[in-house]
Amino acid sequence: MSGLRAPNTAVIAAATRPTPWWRTTWFRWTLAAVVFLVLVVIPFIADPYSNQTMTRIMMWAVAILGLNVVMGYAGQVSLGQIFFVGVGAYATAITLKSHWGVDLGLLGAVIAFVLAAVIPGVLGFLVALAAARLRGIAIAMVTIALPIVGVPLAKRFSDLTGGAPGISPSSKWFRTPDWLSGLLYDDQYRYLLALVIAGIVFLLVAFLVRGKFGRAFAIVKANESVASAMGISPYRTKVLAFTIASAIGGIGGFLYVVVNTFTSPDTLSFPNSINLIIATIVGGAGTIIGPILGGVYFQLVTQIPTALQASQWTTVIQGIVILLVLFLLPGGLASLPRVIRRLTAKRPDRHVGTGTAPAPIPGNPGTTKE
Amino acid sequence: MQLFIQLIVDGLAQGSIYAALALAIVLVNQATGLVNFAQGGMAVLSAYIGLAVVDLLAPAFGPGLVALAIVIAIVVALAFSFVFGAAVERLVMRRFERGDEDTAVVATIGVLTLITGLVGIIWSYNYQHFPWFFPIAQSFSIAGIGVSVWSLTTFLAVIVIMIVLQLLFMRTKLGLGLRAVADNPASAALSGLKVGRLLMVGWGLAATLGAVGGILIAPKLQLTPNMLDSVLVYALAAVVIGGLDSPLGAVIAAWGIAIVENLSAAYLPTIVGQDLKVAVPFAFLVIILIFRPQGLFGRKAVVRV
Repeated sequence: MSGLRAPNTAVIAAATRPTPWWRTTWFRWTLAAVVFLVLVVIPFIADPYSNQTMTRIMMWAVAILGLNVVMGYAGQVSLGQIFFVGVGAYATAITLKSHWGVDLGLLGAVIAFVLAAVIPGVLGFLVALAAARLRGIAIAMVTIALPIVGVPLAKRFSDLTGGAPGISPSSKWFRTPDWLSGLLYDDQYRYLLALVIAGIVFLLVAFLVRGKFGRAFAIVKANESVASAMGISPYRTKVLAFTIASAIGGIGGFLYVVVNTFTSPDTLSFPNSINLIIATIVGGAGTIIGPILGGVYFQLVTQIPTALQASQWTTVIQGIVILLVLFLLPGGLASLPRVIRRLTAKRPDRHVGTGTAPAPIPGNPGTTKE
Repeated sequence: MQLFIQLIVDGLAQGSIYAALALAIVLVNQATGLVNFAQGGMAVLSAYIGLAVVDLLAPAFGPGLVALAIVIAIVVALAFSFVFGAAVERLVMRRFERGDEDTAVVATIGVLTLITGLVGIIWSYNYQHFPWFFPIAQSFSIAGIGVSVWSLTTFLAVIVIMIVLQLLFMRTKLGLGLRAVADNPASAALSGLKVGRLLMVGWGLAATLGAVGGILIAPKLQLTPNMLDSVLVYALAAVVIGGLDSPLGAVIAAWGIAIVENLSAAYLPTIVGQDLKVAVPFAFLVIILIFRPQGLFGRKAVVRV
């Protein structure tokens, strides 16, 4: 039960207490708005290198958010998320490079974005139709094949994908467009583009997981038999979660091209796929903030050892970190405040969720009973 | 026709490697209900241990006794993998066995990452040659059909191991205990079986089995830390196709996958070819999952609420 699922004793306990000010809706929205404003200001202060790092973090955060939908919320481990990121990246790069033979002008970027979301979404839907047939870990066992098949596939269709060296669209796509020139440097433009896209995707997912589908995900994750009994088809729910995850992964792929200005078969390699999973768990599965922390982790765990000229240690560090997190902090970094609060809380408070239930609230007696 | 039979024999040999890993996965799954994604990584580590022993002994023994050095290396590597498998179960996986299976999957991925990273640091990511008793290209001909010696020995070795394993499970007290723990750990414990120790033995046996596959394929592929990543995919495909609860099904599926893969690479060079043959088992897998989700040989699981 520990692990990817949030402990619901804490939820029950919280429901019986008056909501503290830091948990109220208005505070959270204000906080989100302030954070967003700070993020808008940062590129005008920071140097280009930091801006690029931040853009990369946003790109990984989006890819991880997609994985989080299927893994954290719907409880299905996908080892193939990077495949959809790669397909999105190729859809973007190929569209920007070839225009599919038609002069699309600036519209090309919009079409690239739409294709980057739709093609991986459709592919994810098809894969899920097969993979979601089985219970539990079958999705992991099938999706592990995606990156392993994807790399030779990308190399094979070299007319389209540019083969092993990869494909890089004209550099004009990565410069500040004319109507903004003079206002923004290239790195600031790319940063803000990524911020807007990532912001919208995060907002949509935040709404999604709080709504009807989010509740369906949670029930399927907790118990598929119960879900069936409640009239929720676990199969359809899993296919839906997987499709959404793939489409979001594709958007991550779009951002991958935005920040890297190219893509190659290495993008969708198996180690990258594993790193996405590790980052999802380290950040905190089943939360909205988790993928952001996961994105920071993903970027820094490769960037810092490389800067220290110890990049060969990255894989070992990844392995140690994920095992430590699973043992010590199963909720990931996102659960850190809760864990700290629990550890620093006074003794009686610690048992609120488990033993001594507070007096029932009048008119709502059900909440304190199991 | 000649080519066809050669492809079948080579397919059976390759399939035997997949089968070794697939059997290891089935073994772990039967004992603990988990799928060990680190099974390939653990086998690679054992192969590197074997290589280290050969490198240590071969110069001391001189050129005449290289074969003896390889034999000792294989014994050491297999013994190591048994201990290592048991240690992974006790130190890492024990904690996740009775919990959420998704968490356990991530834990095995963590083990895989850690092993791959360590192997990469100790032995580097470069290709390393694994010495063998005879040249890998060596072949002999029966009725005009060339058969690779490596293919034949690999195939026979895996058959022998399967028979030994079957005898172990069906004819020994240890095997009975392992089956009891797999079937129902709680009543096994109540009958006085040491469940924890048996689980360690199960993981150790699985790791040894995987290591056999790793060592058999090492001389053919050259050693790299990621050597078995794609073999793991084949093994998982075999397990899904054959059914997670059917060792025989997994082995037959592994052979079938390898044969179909080899045939399609040879006879459909423009569509499939060498570089895309890895996609063939995956395509099969998708089709089988749609029409027979429990696998070809598996029993349909009935879950009580």
